Amino acid sequence: MENALIALAAMLAVTGCAIASAIAQGRTATKAMDAIARQPEAAGDIRSSLLLSLALMEALTIYGLLIAFMLVSKIG
Amino acid sequence: MEEVGGVLFSIGPLEVTGRVVTMWVMIAVLAVLCRLATRKLKDVPGPLQNLAELAVEKLRGFFAGNLSAENARRYLPVMSTFFIFILVSNYSGLLPGAGTLFAVPTSGLSVTAGLAIAAFCFTQYAGIRARGWKRYLKSFLLPFFVMLPLNLIEQIVHPFSLALRLYGNIYGEETVTEQLGHIFPLVLPLVMQGLSLLFGFIQAMVFTMLLASYVEEATE
Repeated sequence: MENALIALAAMLAVTGCAIASAIAQGRTATKAMDAIARQPEAAGDIRSSLLLSLALMEALTIYGLLIAFMLVSKIG
Repeated sequence: MEEVGGVLFSIGPLEVTGRVVTMWVMIAVLAVLCRLATRKLKDVPGPLQNLAELAVEKLRGFFAGNLSAENARRYLPVMSTFFIFILVSNYSGLLPGAGTLFAVPTSGLSVTAGLAIAAFCFTQYAGIRARGWKRYLKSFLLPFFVMLPLNLIEQIVHPFSLALRLYGNIYGEETVTEQLGHIFPLVLPLVMQGLSLLFGFIQAMVFTMLLASYVEEATE
């Protein structure tokens, strides 16, 4: 029973983080593409800012993934 | 950590783990490459010198966009070292035998935490050097002296996030590659390794970009 709860907790950790990060990164990418379409000569700057923002959001998902790894290692 | 990342031997009180040995090999290879590239500098460069010049040019352009002119000139070597070290470290996970024969350095929290601590010390040094002790410490009271705990927390959290971001990404890549190899060997890990190519580079770039923005913030 405890193993099941631990597995469920790990699943919840990754699911919430993945959904939130996907939504947020999708919005960021949309705005970035709009900006590049409007001003193609700024594409380099926009791309760097986009990558930095995406990585910062990705980090939050990675925190959830780390918790999931730590939990899964406690099963059994 | 798994057995390949365990302690191999001890030099005095310090334990040498598999990751440290991998880093030594990396340092040796990079040092030899640098020596060979700069041995006889010619006006019309040979291939290795050309590669080195390309790397320096690209790095300079990259930091010019992130740092002020003075900081870019002064701190280019340190930042480039961080970038190249993390990049080579991440890509060593793509070599055959990674994880089983040798340990990938950045896939362990010890290495990334060490990098983050070095980055933290470097940021403080840059801030103190640019503004002097008193002005730098006073800057924590800006814009409003109640912000002091928030500024302190921010300074402490930055290296944590740097370390965890890099560790989580690379450890996750290695683990997923391994698990995919268990499911369908030789073919399925290729997908993840392709992503590792992209994400290893991006993580190195993000670490360095964030470090540059922290230094820029500390030196105002």
